[in-house]
Amino acid sequence: MKSWRIAFLGLLLLPEGFLAAQNQTQIASNNEPASTAKPAVVQSDEDALRAEGEKRFHANCGRCHQAPHKFPPRMMATIVRHMRVRATITDEDMRVILHYMTQ
Amino acid sequence: MRSKFRKLQGPPKAAKHGKTLARLVVVLAAFCLAPVLYAQQSSSDDTETISPVPILSAGLAYNSFFQGGTQHVHPLVSPVVLIPLGQNWLVESRDTFEIDLAPDPVTGNYKGALQKEVDYLQLDYIASPYMTVTVGRFLTPFGIFNERLYPVWIRDLQTDPLILPIATGPSGAGTGAMLRGGFDAKPGIEINYAAYFSTTSTDTPLDSQRMAGMRAGIFLPGPRLEFGGSFQHLLQDDRSNAFGFHAAWQPSALPFDIRAEYARSHTGSGYWVESAYRLSQAPMWHSALKHVQVVGRMQQYFTGVVPDDNLPPVNTHMFEFGLNYYFRDDLRFVSSYGRQFAPQTNMNVWNVGLTYRFALPVGHGDIR
Repeated sequence: MKSWRIAFLGLLLLPEGFLAAQNQTQIASNNEPASTAKPAVVQSDEDALRAEGEKRFHANCGRCHQAPHKFPPRMMATIVRHMRVRATITDEDMRVILHYMTQ
Repeated sequence: MRSKFRKLQGPPKAAKHGKTLARLVVVLAAFCLAPVLYAQQSSSDDTETISPVPILSAGLAYNSFFQGGTQHVHPLVSPVVLIPLGQNWLVESRDTFEIDLAPDPVTGNYKGALQKEVDYLQLDYIASPYMTVTVGRFLTPFGIFNERLYPVWIRDLQTDPLILPIATGPSGAGTGAMLRGGFDAKPGIEINYAAYFSTTSTDTPLDSQRMAGMRAGIFLPGPRLEFGGSFQHLLQDDRSNAFGFHAAWQPSALPFDIRAEYARSHTGSGYWVESAYRLSQAPMWHSALKHVQVVGRMQQYFTGVVPDDNLPPVNTHMFEFGLNYYFRDDLRFVSSYGRQFAPQTNMNVWNVGLTYRFALPVGHGDIR
């Protein structure tokens, strides 16, 4: 009877150790100054982000259904939040897909 | 039968276990949220500048099934409401209204009763980038079909897999609390999980069983391969366990996908394997064939030690072939033929129908 509870507990706690570490890394990367990038570099980054968004969009949305057409940005923000919960999409995937779908 | 069983041996232990589990969930939630709250506050950036707007969506279907020579007409409406609150909250619900119209054996007139079900009505709190806390009525996260492939506008074949009621029950939902989320374990490897506790509810259409369980999966975005497992412990009746496995693969080079599930409990066991191929790369008649999807499914069910009214009474296997035509990504014609094999009850199952889905914004949203 206790074994499944231990497994339940283990599953929940397993990710937390390195998630905290990942948080710190993400915070550090978020705090890096973006203003130092030159416009051409920014454009290149934007293209790369869009390409990455398209890739993640097809990889994640295609797991369950045909890729839908784009909705208005405010609707996409809700839909992506819904799909984040429903399909357990990662936070990073959600952000990149939302960026791609609202361009 | 089940309620009598519950009365005989259920309440004292159930209450004790319920309190223990409730404490466990609260402690775990507090523990898990603590290390990420700081990060969440600090990582708020311009990706959240779009204010989400409430949405009313719905899946609609009109299917005609010919099952063993008898026609069943099956209209269905399944409205979905999404209400985002702030940056981290979401209220979501889905209800299903359906009628199974079949000819009356005496008069020949088609008759059927309206069936109503609250599939889910839940409040989600995105507590951290890695965890969402859900309370309310939620779809039981056992396998992938019930939670992700069930809507009529998503499923490639309109018939349910034979093993769907295993561990999900007749309602497919639980009432209680759930922790779930997904995160990158390392580049190219994503892990997703869901752990839940549900209490007993006998109020139709909110019925659910007392149970606890979890599902964990690994998704490899590169090869688009996903696999995982589910476990559930029933906290009522015979306190049995159920477990299952699932896998899905969508190669990026082809408009093709293959999915499979296996489930086992005291009520039975079985599997289904389904594959779908969109003919968008056909070398001829491309403009017409790109809208066509070919589907095939093979499944088997084996009876368990405890009979379940929602499962076949005898060992059954079935194969189905489907042909779908997408007029648009939200409107399609669906058709399928299946042959079901069971002792003394072999039969054909035909289906033709239409499915449609729409989504509309409700109210106002603004760009902050």
